[in-house]
Amino acid sequence: MILHTMIQILALLWHQIVAVFAEFRRDWAEALRFYEEAYRALREMIATSTRLPPVQRLVEIRAVAEQLFFKISTLLLHGGKVEEAIAWFNRHFNSYKHLVGLDEVSFLHWDWLSRQFLVFAELLETSSAAIPNTLSSHFGTPESSLTEWEIQPAYYYQLAANYLREKRYCLDNLLSTGDSEFSRTSGKVPESVMPSVFIGQSARLVEQGDMIEVLPLSDAEYVQYALSEAQRFQDSYEIIALFRKACESFTNLKAPRLASLCSNRMAKEYFFTEDFTDAKKLFDTVSSLYRQEGWVTLLWESLGYLQECSIRLDSAKDFIEYSLEMASLPIFANGDQEIPDSKREYGPAGLPSQSRREALQSEVLSLVRGEEIVSRTDRGCSIAVTKEQPVRIDVDIISPLRMVLLVSVAFHDQSVKPGSPVMITLSLVSQLPCSIEVDELEIEFNQPKCNFIIINAVEEISAARSNGDNQDVRIETAPSIVLPTNKWLRLTYDVKSDQSGKLECLSVTARIGKSFKICCQAESPASMEDLPFWKFEGMVQTFPTKDPVLSFSGQKVIQVEEPDPEVDLILNASSPALVGESFVVPLTVIPRGHEVYSGELKINLVDARGGGLLMSPRETDPFSSGNHHVELISISRMGGDDESRIHSDKIKKIQQSFGVVSVPDLRVGDKWSCKLEIKWHKPKSVMLYASLGYSPNSAEAARVNVHRSLQIEGKIPISITHTFMMPFRREPLLLSKVKSLPGADQNVYLPLNETSILIVTARNSSEVPLRVKSMMIQSNSNKNETPYSIQHVGGVSADDSLLVPGGEFKGVFSVRPKIDSPNLELGSVCLNWNRDLTLSDSEDSGVMTEQKLPAVIVEQSPLVVSLEFPPHAILGIPFLFYIKVSNQTNLLQEIKYSLGDTQSFVFCGPHDNAGFILPKMEYVMSYKLVPLCSGSQQLPQATITSLRYSAALNPSVTATTIFVYPSEPNFFVADNEKETILAKLNL
Amino acid sequence: MIACVAVVGHQNNPLYLQSFTGADDALKLHHIVHCSLDVIDERVNNPKRSVITLNESYLGLLYPTESYKVYGYLSNTKVKFLVVTTDLDVKDTDIRSFFRRFHAAYVDAVSNPFHVPGKKIISRIFAVRVSGIVKAFAPGTYG
Repeated sequence: MILHTMIQILALLWHQIVAVFAEFRRDWAEALRFYEEAYRALREMIATSTRLPPVQRLVEIRAVAEQLFFKISTLLLHGGKVEEAIAWFNRHFNSYKHLVGLDEVSFLHWDWLSRQFLVFAELLETSSAAIPNTLSSHFGTPESSLTEWEIQPAYYYQLAANYLREKRYCLDNLLSTGDSEFSRTSGKVPESVMPSVFIGQSARLVEQGDMIEVLPLSDAEYVQYALSEAQRFQDSYEIIALFRKACESFTNLKAPRLASLCSNRMAKEYFFTEDFTDAKKLFDTVSSLYRQEGWVTLLWESLGYLQECSIRLDSAKDFIEYSLEMASLPIFANGDQEIPDSKREYGPAGLPSQSRREALQSEVLSLVRGEEIVSRTDRGCSIAVTKEQPVRIDVDIISPLRMVLLVSVAFHDQSVKPGSPVMITLSLVSQLPCSIEVDELEIEFNQPKCNFIIINAVEEISAARSNGDNQDVRIETAPSIVLPTNKWLRLTYDVKSDQSGKLECLSVTARIGKSFKICCQAESPASMEDLPFWKFEGMVQTFPTKDPVLSFSGQKVIQVEEPDPEVDLILNASSPALVGESFVVPLTVIPRGHEVYSGELKINLVDARGGGLLMSPRETDPFSSGNHHVELISISRMGGDDESRIHSDKIKKIQQSFGVVSVPDLRVGDKWSCKLEIKWHKPKSVMLYASLGYSPNSAEAARVNVHRSLQIEGKIPISITHTFMMPFRREPLLLSKVKSLPGADQNVYLPLNETSILIVTARNSSEVPLRVKSMMIQSNSNKNETPYSIQHVGGVSADDSLLVPGGEFKGVFSVRPKIDSPNLELGSVCLNWNRDLTLSDSEDSGVMTEQKLPAVIVEQSPLVVSLEFPPHAILGIPFLFYIKVSNQTNLLQEIKYSLGDTQSFVFCGPHDNAGFILPKMEYVMSYKLVPLCSGSQQLPQATITSLRYSAALNPSVTATTIFVYPSEPNFFVADNEKETILAKLNL
Repeated sequence: MIACVAVVGHQNNPLYLQSFTGADDALKLHHIVHCSLDVIDERVNNPKRSVITLNESYLGLLYPTESYKVYGYLSNTKVKFLVVTTDLDVKDTDIRSFFRRFHAAYVDAVSNPFHVPGKKIISRIFAVRVSGIVKAFAPGTYG
């Protein structure tokens, strides 16, 4: 047997020495192979070696195995064989994990295991660069037995910490029992023990005179030595450091749950070392994740620790919060059995169960009613709630304590008149396992005057209000305020508000006992979120109010309306507004029941078709004047007196579409009026909004608003059209007009140095009678010499002529262009008008409406045809008809002309003929016609054709119409008037 | 042997969790199941890294702890199924077929018209059926 062992040791040594040499030669594969052989040889020795006492033997074997494994994994990792290294590690771990040894020294085993993980984690971390990226692509598949975290050092750090924790438990148990076999047998710790020169062995140095002898230790001595060594170390700090390292890595790897598991363990370690502040901080972060994802059992454990931390930190408020949260959690596990050893597993809170919840609730209730609570881990520590240190817990909509008390508040209406009562329903629900009795409910609104208190009728009112600090608060009583588990307690009361605006229920504070309050933020039933945790429970859905409509749409906010205004605001506009004029809208303020103090009148002009601003969107600068289609010009006191214009020291602000003026203080019976002057630049329909804000009495700040609106149409008052005509029976030949296609362009062609007639027609397109004061053509150019001459020759008299709706006003002008131009500007028509019914301002200067005349094309006409015949004829009496063609060029012109037959006339003269016209000469064709029919008759159709220009000219129908009297008529026209008319026509 | 089975909902909240080992390590199993969700998130959110697993609901081995292995399965409706085994050497096909039966049991349970989607599964029949499947997976354990 001994021989066999010796052979094994020699084989092990030989393998190891060869491996070291191979390593020295940088022959990594060889080195690896021999190290692996050595490791295998070591495995065989575990059961057989008897060289040392059993405890020390195991320690030695583990030490050698550790060193060999370190070599192997280093070689593998540096060679980039991560998977193999991890597989080796798992094999190593599995081979030794059950090799615990004796109970007394089990802590050595856990310590060693922890070190294995730590060493491997550090190796992985240092060789992380060698890990190929492709490795991660096939995790979880049959080809790979690895998972994501196994290549992460954090995974091993975490496990190292776990085993170190196990070591600490074993050591603590060992020390707490204190009656181990070894301590009884061996007595004291041996002195001067030191690691031997051989790996994994220890020896004692004994001085004998000058000689120092190294003596082997007995197992009992070794255990004592190991225990005393282990006690010297603060494992907790090591554990915390390892967990922190793992936690940070997992956080970076976006594995929040693993990170929180590490935080949880870290917190427990802090708790163990009685660092309650750090423990509480960590447990708080951990529990927030569990809360968010609804892991009740995990949360329960953390909350149990937090409870203990709060007691140790002497924070009754925190203790109550954590206890209430725990008591209101839905229990996940279905078993209710208590396991005796559940403390280590579940921490101070124990196993989550219904009975624990009930116990927690009663514990908290007794605490708030004055009893003391003692810590479970340290009996000397306790907390209490006293009158001097009352506890108040605030519950908002994200607080987990919503499960403890949830308050939903619904007004039964959406708006209310000031001073009239409105119903409000408070619904309270609790998920605590037992019914809870509330002594007092305090309801708080944003208008403090509405606050009220509901008192449990069982309590004496006088006793409840003994502190007497809220004497003026309304007090209601309820028969009993008891909240059963998951059952809505509904209380309905009236609320009355005198202040207009928003009335919102802010919070409901429940008082339990003398010095404990829980203040819940009020929630609207319409926008109430599900309870955390309980939303996953298969509970019957209940509604906060009996009325299902209110449960779905109820709000904790109500609009208190303004008091009804008792002031008349009268806006008046008799007729539509006309573009261009200053339209006056009278506005009158008449107090009926209220007096008006610090009144302010706001005027706003808005496009009636929507779109807001009254300006064209293309204009970039909104404040430059003239861009607005409709403009508020002024607001002035009625009466037209300049002095009564609103003084500048009062509020007055006028913009194009907005104005503010202050209104003087008015008593009932007074009257104040002003006029708004508005100018339309474009025809637009406009809403005029006037709102008067005032205080009904001088002291109160509450303001009342009166709104009025008026739609005013802006209309174009006058439409101006114009036509150009040639003088009667005179047709110049305009070549470009002949060439242009008929209807292709709307250009106006005028002959040069010929008089043309311009007729301007102004039509009243509004619904009110207007007066035209003047009409004229205004030249655009400022020069004295205009390239044309325009004269007003006639039309309807322009002296204040009345223009009824639809009526027309005509002005006749003669135009004589003086230059040949393809684009001659003729200026604009200016029409000065005003309304026939003037309002107050009778001395109105009138409104100028201007319309630009289009440019005309002026050209020299080579030929001018004029027709001459008497203004009328008499049946059967012959008359002369001349067609005169005047050649205005310096060329010889050849013309052809023809005269068609008609039934109404017979004539003598050639039907078709041709002739030449000398330059600047006139060619006259004369016919004698005898009318055969009476009445308005068409003369025979004459056609004149110019051969040079290939242009035919047909005189128009109107120009060749003559009236035939059956017999000689009698005219009573004075000769001179006849001449005037003729002279004007021949101009 | 199967130590624990779990169904986890959309918000990573536990819908069903049953351990088959005895009550003392329930908390540990809760922790293990909860931590395994990190791996599921990692695999689902990084489809590039797990091309093979994307096409099927079986997610494979998620998380080996020292004494347990966790396997995962993701339904089309993103409900996660997890199983924690104490056997360190389990055939992939066995786990796959286990998940298929587990999923079928879940589908039957949530098809109950009285079950509200997203809430915990409280059906006793489901529990019985699941423990039947678990027993069938490792008949020696309870025999």
